Amino acid sequence: MATAELVLGLLSAGPAHGYDVKRGHDSWFPDSRPLAFGQVYATLGRLERDELVEVVDRASEGGPERTVYALTPKGREHLSRWLTEPVEPTPGGVDEMVRKVVATIRTGEDASAYLARQRATYLHRIRELKSPAPEDDSSSWLVRDYVALHLDADLRWLDRALDRITEQKETSR
Amino acid sequence: MTDAALEIQRVEYAYRRDVALRGVSLRVDPGEIVAVTGPSGCGKSTLLHCAAGILRPQAGTVALAGRNLAELSEAERTRVRRTQAGIVLQFGQLVPDLSLQDNVALPLLLEGHDAAAARRAALGWLERVGVAADNEALPRELSGGQNQRAAVARALVTGPAVVFADEPTGSLDSRAGEQMMELLVSSAGDGGAALVIVTHDNLVAAYADREVRLRDGVVQHEVRLS
Repeated sequence: MATAELVLGLLSAGPAHGYDVKRGHDSWFPDSRPLAFGQVYATLGRLERDELVEVVDRASEGGPERTVYALTPKGREHLSRWLTEPVEPTPGGVDEMVRKVVATIRTGEDASAYLARQRATYLHRIRELKSPAPEDDSSSWLVRDYVALHLDADLRWLDRALDRITEQKETSR
Repeated sequence: MTDAALEIQRVEYAYRRDVALRGVSLRVDPGEIVAVTGPSGCGKSTLLHCAAGILRPQAGTVALAGRNLAELSEAERTRVRRTQAGIVLQFGQLVPDLSLQDNVALPLLLEGHDAAAARRAALGWLERVGVAADNEALPRELSGGQNQRAAVARALVTGPAVVFADEPTGSLDSRAGEQMMELLVSSAGDGGAALVIVTHDNLVAAYADREVRLRDGVVQHEVRLS
């Protein structure tokens, strides 16, 4: 995952400290795993070393010290370049669900029942994605649509698997 | 136990040589949303037509709002169908020569309601579905999405026990389809109607409380989603 570039993106609106970066990330991607503080600070440290960000303030205001980071011109250039580069399609990795279906068929378990349960789980998730929290903004919709449409693609594969298994059962009778 | 909105028992239906339904049973509770899914030719549209009283099954029973359709006279059957089953099809299927408001008022007029009251009720539902401003327009003067909205109003104007929707988003693009589903679900909820949606689209099926999947005229599986 391009955490470094996302952190640069989160700093593009102006200087911020680690906590703001984490909160910003989690609001951009409400359905993804939250960014861990450890990861934020480690990433900011690396970006500072590579001169993509710089420390502009160390405020403490009586509390713990808070380091404020800002993009450097080099960082801004790196971000712009990253945003213009298309992403290569991921090579055909087979995910856990596919492995499970193949294993279910190979071990002689009831594949139709498994597929029905898997279908219900995915439809249920799409249903959740369609009833977002009212404070969600348009960018979180983009992520939700992305997830829902990928689940739809998986469901269509499941349908096809279910049909093939049923056909095989019918012809072997 | 309260009456089911729809109770189908061991329904069988065949067209000339093709057997479409081989003993399908389905109970839908009041207010429930059920998606009937399955590959094309699995019998899902035939099931909807039998359930809505459009086709007469050759075996088995269909009860709408507690009335067994097979036991009713032709006139009573038509009446139950007209008042208890709202229907939304893929292309809206409004009467082309009637305005939106008259289209929506039509089921009430056929039931002998007073014309002014029927038109008032129709306007109320057109407002509810967001096309009241076009109440005097003819279907051909409006978009597919607007026609579908009016079709939802027409389906609900009699206060039916069940709204049947056959591929209701089939003619719409994905965003309009989503808005259509939100409208259908919320309108059925407002009208106190159960909703039976026939669809091959997973994103539409996900709106349901329960999925019933058909294959070759039998129920392949049934899963709860809510």
